[in-house]
Amino acid sequence: MNDNDLITAVREQRDKVHSRTPVDQIISRGRTVRARRRIPPAVGGLAVVTAAAVVLGLGVSGAFGPAHARATGTIRTTAFTLTRHANGTATLTISPRVLLQPSTLQSDLQQDGIPALVTTGSFCSSDPIPAGFARVVSGPTGTPPTVTINPAAMPAGTELSFGNFQYSSSRTDTEIELIDASTHTCSSALPTSPPDDDGVLMLGNGSGMGEPAGS
Amino acid sequence: MVVRYVRVEAQQLDFAEFYREFKDACLFAVLVSVDDRDVAQELVDEAFARAWASWRSVSRHPAPAAWVVRTALNASVSRWRKRRREVSLPQPGNIADLAAGQADSSLDPRVMAALTRLPARQRQVVTLRLLLDLDTGRTAEVLGISASAVKAHLARAIATLRNNLIPEPQQEKRS
Repeated sequence: MNDNDLITAVREQRDKVHSRTPVDQIISRGRTVRARRRIPPAVGGLAVVTAAAVVLGLGVSGAFGPAHARATGTIRTTAFTLTRHANGTATLTISPRVLLQPSTLQSDLQQDGIPALVTTGSFCSSDPIPAGFARVVSGPTGTPPTVTINPAAMPAGTELSFGNFQYSSSRTDTEIELIDASTHTCSSALPTSPPDDDGVLMLGNGSGMGEPAGS
Repeated sequence: MVVRYVRVEAQQLDFAEFYREFKDACLFAVLVSVDDRDVAQELVDEAFARAWASWRSVSRHPAPAAWVVRTALNASVSRWRKRRREVSLPQPGNIADLAAGQADSSLDPRVMAALTRLPARQRQVVTLRLLLDLDTGRTAEVLGISASAVKAHLARAIATLRNNLIPEPQQEKRS
């Protein structure tokens, strides 16, 4: 068998395998991926100082306890700051280094008129995802990352799903998605290889094609 | 509003064309690295979905199909790491068993096993050069190695494949 015969044999095998997934299904799933808004982890001294200042302001019980307090429309905990504005929108800042207490954030959001489902270590989503996410959530911006939520733009029967994942002792990520309140599923699967916002983190490193030569 | 709609539609057509052209090759490329046809399908579908979600940047990649394969294989590694306490390591040769007995029974188990057993770098070069049909320069760019290194790895890979594909009786004669 010469080189050409061998290459032909390999390509013949390739040509026998056919993907059975229609492109519409891929695009639908892609829209779900795209619609998620990851609040990226902030790194560096500023985030540490910010988190530390909040902890000091609240005392030790603020870490996971009910030590949040409403003042001039703002709720602060070590994990997040939620501010309700006069125009009906709310801004939410999540500390990238503190795991959320789901029930606290969920009830505080609901107090501000934002139907929400908050989970840690899992993420709930609907398929298909309801339209209109971009009108409901904008951002994130700044450090620590902040999103603006407009509850008036939420379609009837929907709520915002917040999935908070801890990747390491110093890094948590939060994903936000609009879901159908009556039909959604939750998965504890950690989002694979958390990408940058443009999804290209995996290029040029990792354990795939970029690993050292095996021969 | 109208402009945005048209732009999205154009982007969708572009992606759909890319998907039609490369979905089978990407699936096969992942199949030779994992030991399960359904897992390969799932990984490739998710990687294509991620490509669509980031199509504006992925479409500018030197080889978007290579991005898809790499994304799928990275997810495969993550998947394995999460389950490593529950399942055993994939063993080379399982793919041949699969090809022999399951959905892709038309596949030649000898060729599949030979591909699966290639060392990592040789398999990467084979994937890009022979399965995704990238030229040497583009393969070198994607892998971050020189063109001469690509040629050397491909030559070694072909030699390895040929050696592994020699029929059993012939191997015995040579030894």
